[in-house]
Amino acid sequence: MATTVVPGIADYSPGGVLVREQVSLWRDGWRRLRRNRLSLVAVVYLGLIIVMAVVSFFWTPYGPNNIGVCQTYETPSPQHFFGCDELGRDSLSRLMAGTQVTLAEGIGCAFIALVAGVVIGLMAGFFRGIVDAALSLLINIFYGIPPLLVALVLYVLLGASLLNIIIAISATLWMDMARLVRGQTLSLREREFVEAARASGAKSGKILFGHIFPNALGPIIVQGTFVIPGAVLTGAFLSFLGVGVPAPQADWGGMAQEGVNAIRLVTHIVMFPSIALSLTLLAFNFFGDGLRDAFDPRQKR
Amino acid sequence: MVTRGTLIYIGQRLVLIAVTVLVTSFGVFAVVHSLPGSAFVSEKVHGAALASLLHQYGLDRPIPVQYWDFFRGAIHGDLGQSLVIRGEEITPLVLRELTVSMELGGAALLITIGMGMLFGVIAAIRQNTWVDYTLTTFAVIGYSVPSFVIATLFLLIFGLWLQDITNGTFYYPIGWTGTYGTLAELSVPAVALGLYTSGQVTRITRAAMLDVVQQDYIRTARAKGLKTPVITLRHALRNALIPVTSILGPLVVSILVGVVVIENIFGIPGLGKEFVSSILRHDYNVAVGVFTIFAILIGFSNLIVDLLYTAIDPRIRY
Repeated sequence: MATTVVPGIADYSPGGVLVREQVSLWRDGWRRLRRNRLSLVAVVYLGLIIVMAVVSFFWTPYGPNNIGVCQTYETPSPQHFFGCDELGRDSLSRLMAGTQVTLAEGIGCAFIALVAGVVIGLMAGFFRGIVDAALSLLINIFYGIPPLLVALVLYVLLGASLLNIIIAISATLWMDMARLVRGQTLSLREREFVEAARASGAKSGKILFGHIFPNALGPIIVQGTFVIPGAVLTGAFLSFLGVGVPAPQADWGGMAQEGVNAIRLVTHIVMFPSIALSLTLLAFNFFGDGLRDAFDPRQKR
Repeated sequence: MVTRGTLIYIGQRLVLIAVTVLVTSFGVFAVVHSLPGSAFVSEKVHGAALASLLHQYGLDRPIPVQYWDFFRGAIHGDLGQSLVIRGEEITPLVLRELTVSMELGGAALLITIGMGMLFGVIAAIRQNTWVDYTLTTFAVIGYSVPSFVIATLFLLIFGLWLQDITNGTFYYPIGWTGTYGTLAELSVPAVALGLYTSGQVTRITRAAMLDVVQQDYIRTARAKGLKTPVITLRHALRNALIPVTSILGPLVVSILVGVVVIENIFGIPGLGKEFVSSILRHDYNVAVGVFTIFAILIGFSNLIVDLLYTAIDPRIRY
C-alpha cells in the first residue's frame, strides 16, 4: 500500500507518498454518474430521443404534416405502426417530429432560465443592498403569480410561435435558479479565495464570473437539469390547453389533446404521445437525480 | 406564540401580496386590452356600431384610466361585468367558481399530503426493501407523468371501460352551476390532480424520516423503552414534518396550476376552466378577475404555509 489514491481527497498513507489525484469537475461527475444505473438508462433514452429529433428533420416514414396518407383514425398496422389521426396523418411520423418541439422547449428554456437566473442571482448576491432588495422583490413577485397563467398571458401577448412559447415558459422557471445562485453567491463571496482575488486587484466582473460562478457550477448544473422536465411539462400543458405550437407542427401535448377529443372512438391517438411524454419526463428526472448525486454530493435526497 | 416580530412579518407579507396582486392585475389588464381583436369580434359589428359599443363599455379610453376604474370597483368587491355574456356580474361568477376550484384543490391537497406522507413513512421504515423500492419508483413515476396524462387515463378507465358501473357519475353535468360537486364527481379528478404532487411529498418525507431517525433524541427515546410506533409517530414524524412543510408552498402552486388543466379535461366549471376560456374569447374583465383571484390565493397560501412553519418548528422566528 505504497500509494493510495483517493479522488479529490489528500490522503496520507504511512510509509507511502502523499497522493492527490487531480480530477476535474466534469470527470469526477461523470465517474459518479456512471455508477447510477437508472441514470445511465435515462441517458441512453435521452440520447435516442435526440437522435430521433435529428433524424425527423430529414426523414420520417410519411410526411408528418401530410394529410390523408391513411384513413381517419386508422388503428395501428404494419404500414402505420402507431395508427393515424383525425386528418389521416401518420402518428409515428408526427410523434417523431414532436421530439423537435419537446427538445427545443426543454433545452431552450433551460438555457434562458440559466442565463437569466445566473445573472440575476449573481448580481443580487454579490452587490447586496438595494440591488438585492429590488431583485429579490422581482423574484418574489414572480413566485406570487400562477406560472401557467403567466405563460398563457405571455403567449397570447407575443403570438403563437415556438420561440415565443419558449420565452413564455422561461418566464415561469427562472426564479428557482436565481434564488439558488443568489444564496450560493452570498456564501461564496465571504470565502477566502474571493478575498484573495479582491486583494490582488480583480474587478467585480472578474470575481463574479471567474471565481464565484465556477464554484457554484455544480448546483447550477443540477438545477438546470431540473428546469428541462419542468419546461417540457409546461409546454405540453400549454399545447394540451390548445395554446401551444401553431399547427400543423406536431407536438406531443397537442397530439394528446387531439387524442382526448377522439377518446370515445379510438384510444391509440392519446396513448402514444402520452407514453412518449411520460417516459421522457421520467428520463429527465432520473438523469437529474443522477446528476445531483454526481455533482452535488453534499446535498442529500 | 404571536410576537411583535411575527406581526411585523405578517404585515410585510401582506404588503408584498398587495404589491404582487397590483402589479399582476395591471399587467394582465394591460396585456389583454392590447390584444388584437376585441370582445365583440364574434358579434360581427363594425364601424360606428363597434365604436359605440366600445364607448358604451368605456373601452375606448386609455388603459390606465380603465384600470383605475377597475381598481376602484375591485376594492369594493366589484369586478365589473362580462363583455361576452352581457350583464353577467363577474364577482358572483368568480366566487361560485372559486368554491368549485377550492373544493377540487382542497381534496387534491388532502390526497397529496395524506398519501405522500403515508408512503414516505412506510418507505423509510422499510428502507432498502422491495416495499421501499416500489414506493419510491411509484413516487418518481407520480411526479414525472403529467397530470393530464393521468386524468386521460382515468377518463378512459372510468368514463369508457367502466361506463356501466360509473354511469357517468364522475362527470360534472354540462351547464352545471352549483357550488359543491358530489363525492363521485370530485374523487376522480382530485386523485388525478393529487397523484402528481404526492410523489414529491413521498420523496421528501422518506428522506426526512431517514435523516431524523439517525438523531440522538430518537436513540434516547428508544433507550427510554418507548415502543417503535410511538417513536415513529411522535418523535420522528413530527420532526420530519419540517422539510415537508417547506415544499407545501410550491405544492399549493402546482395544485393551482393543475386545477387549470384538470378542470379543462373533466369539464369542471371552476376558475381554471374560466381563465383559459375567458382569455381565448377576449373577455377581458373576466380574465383579469380570475387572474387577480389566483394571485391573491397564491399569496395567502404561501403566507399560511410560512406561518405553519413556525407552528411546527418553534426554532423558526420571524
